[in-house]
Amino acid sequence: MTSERVRKFFTLLFVLGFFAYLFGPLIVMGLTAFNSSAFPRVSPWECFTAEWFSVLVNDEKLIEGLRNSVFISLGVVALSVPLGLAGALMLSQVKDRIRPWYYTIVISPILVPGVVLGISTLLFWDRIGSMFGATRDSFFYNGYFLTIMGHATFISAYTMLIFISRLQRFDSVQEEAALDLGATHVQTFRKILLPFLKPAIGSAAVLAFLASFENYNTTVFTILTESTITTFLAAKVRHGINPSVSALAVAIVVITLFGAALHEMLKRREIKAAKESEQIAKGNIKEHSNSIKRGFFAQPALYLILAVFVSGIASAYFAGTMGVGECKAQVKADKKKRVDELVRKQQQKAMFRDAARRAKEPVVKPVAPKIDKSSRPGVSSSFGNIYSTDNLGGLAGDSNKKKEPKKETPKAEPENTGGGGLFTPNNLKKQSGSE
Amino acid sequence: MQKYWHDYFVRNGKALGIGLLIAVLFWVVVLVIMPQVFMVDFSLRANVPPPEWGTDSHFYTMEHYQYMLYGSANASGTYNVVDLSVFGRTILAAIFVTLIDLALCYPVAYYLAHVAKGGWARLMVLSLIIPFWVNELLRAFSFKIMFGSSGVINNFLVWIGILDQPYDFIHEGVALYAGLSYAYILLMIFPIYNAIESLDKNQIEAAKDMGAGTIKTHLRVVIPHAKPGISSGATMVFMLSLGALAAPQILGGPSSLWFTQIIYQAFNNAGNWARGSAYAIVLLITSIIFVLLVMKFFKVKFGDIAK
Repeated sequence: MTSERVRKFFTLLFVLGFFAYLFGPLIVMGLTAFNSSAFPRVSPWECFTAEWFSVLVNDEKLIEGLRNSVFISLGVVALSVPLGLAGALMLSQVKDRIRPWYYTIVISPILVPGVVLGISTLLFWDRIGSMFGATRDSFFYNGYFLTIMGHATFISAYTMLIFISRLQRFDSVQEEAALDLGATHVQTFRKILLPFLKPAIGSAAVLAFLASFENYNTTVFTILTESTITTFLAAKVRHGINPSVSALAVAIVVITLFGAALHEMLKRREIKAAKESEQIAKGNIKEHSNSIKRGFFAQPALYLILAVFVSGIASAYFAGTMGVGECKAQVKADKKKRVDELVRKQQQKAMFRDAARRAKEPVVKPVAPKIDKSSRPGVSSSFGNIYSTDNLGGLAGDSNKKKEPKKETPKAEPENTGGGGLFTPNNLKKQSGSE
Repeated sequence: MQKYWHDYFVRNGKALGIGLLIAVLFWVVVLVIMPQVFMVDFSLRANVPPPEWGTDSHFYTMEHYQYMLYGSANASGTYNVVDLSVFGRTILAAIFVTLIDLALCYPVAYYLAHVAKGGWARLMVLSLIIPFWVNELLRAFSFKIMFGSSGVINNFLVWIGILDQPYDFIHEGVALYAGLSYAYILLMIFPIYNAIESLDKNQIEAAKDMGAGTIKTHLRVVIPHAKPGISSGATMVFMLSLGALAAPQILGGPSSLWFTQIIYQAFNNAGNWARGSAYAIVLLITSIIFVLLVMKFFKVKFGDIAK
């Protein structure tokens, strides 16, 4: 069955390729956060550094955006959890004839493009504000208020879906029993329904917070003159990128992984506790095992995870701050050396050319003194402006694809017919690679 | 009707019943319906500065929709080639992105659901979620790093000698398509995975025993079963690609303008809110038509799509 084996091999290759596509960009971005190169990239690698993280935390606009985002997300949680719950409770109570319409209307904001929601929210409150003759500093024209409203429109639909799936397992006999025993509706709601919905409320709140926190499409229209973490990021990524954005991504991924690990632990604990409770009810065992009884914060695994994260962060920090200065100086010196080397070769080539020309027509004056070593190299050379001062300084811009001489060597090769760059290792590699 | 309300308040009690009603009405009317109505109204009016809103100069007109079709009134007779071609290209590109995601996700979803085994499969499914937590903007940013002229891919291709010099992936739109496919890939894979996972393995075995080849098994057994998942995933990916703003802003080259970017420009650069909302309505109607088409062709219900 070789064909079977071949097929299996290709399937596996496809799946691995898929996961590479999924994680490759994130890993590369993560690596660029630790490279001292001012432009986010991994090759050439310069120095391992943690400086981009300090750039990040010292960015006042980022902190401001972060604060605004947290504020808005909390507002969205406070609004969309009750709205979603009300929407879910209402679903079973509307008339059968109206129910599909009702469901379509409340669920549609999920499918409506975020841009459209942002615009309609902005226009609506603007018009309402002008109808009431509200002044520009009233809440109708307030970026926070508009953003919370815009987000709540569709995030309430998310939370509603969570509540619907939880309510499907609710036994309404409990409510009836409570009412029969003389409880008021409010009491029944608080003592029976809410405790039953507690896990759903938790996950709805978390989902609402995250969905609001990372929304961009709606926010960009409703936020007006304020800024959130996403509008800050968008501005930063669009105009002049630098590795501090990568550093932010690393921070987010690390926090996420930590949260995921905690969540997994909590879930396993709950499952274990539930299983044990079942056994206790059956009388198979007397009480919960020690790990459950001691409480969540008495687990060794929790501290193991904490220790791994803290030590990881600490070692990255120390490795990224120790000796970075020397390394950078070294990289700079190396770069200068390589540039000098190339300039020398260029001069040699020019001299060859001159010599050849002189041999042909001896009248022409020698040009060689023009490119003596002390002059700014390369301005008129055939290499373009690879050697301009900017590139030596290591300043970044979108144009610094030409910054690194090492990379340029193969490109320049066809011109080096005089034998200039023939013996550099890159060329050898390239020739052997193309064969 | 009166009986309905009477029953309603008996069932919920007065305080709760009123609270419930207020919350639902607020959501449905103030948050969902009225803003859309106002947007339609606004798009049908002349573009005047805010102080004149509601006055006589804020009259009803179709000029913004006409503008999208024919351009400005001075250039009458010809079509508005710029905006219309951006609109058409955005739809085509969104379909393209959806197809890429479908082609990538279906095999992987099938593999995860039925071929991979035990803890390994569970770990893979869990690890799918991690990229989902990274912000959309940052995911686009990571593609900018990958596809930039000194990015990993260009450096690699130049190094192994396939390219002489860096290829401008961003200008050619490659980065945008790759980035968009990446951004919404999980919305495709999870619905399909959930649908395929619920397929009984014995059905696949039975098809094989009866002599169906791999392709026939998929066409006749797996895909029909996964249809709700596929239609849900395809709708979500299409809608989100169509309405994407962040990825085109970050990854789009000068020649690959997205329709949402035109709306954004109308609002933020041109200051023409009325035209922006008219274009937003065109976008909304396009989305609605697409959902209706999917519902008709895949014979699924609306509730199955928005899960």
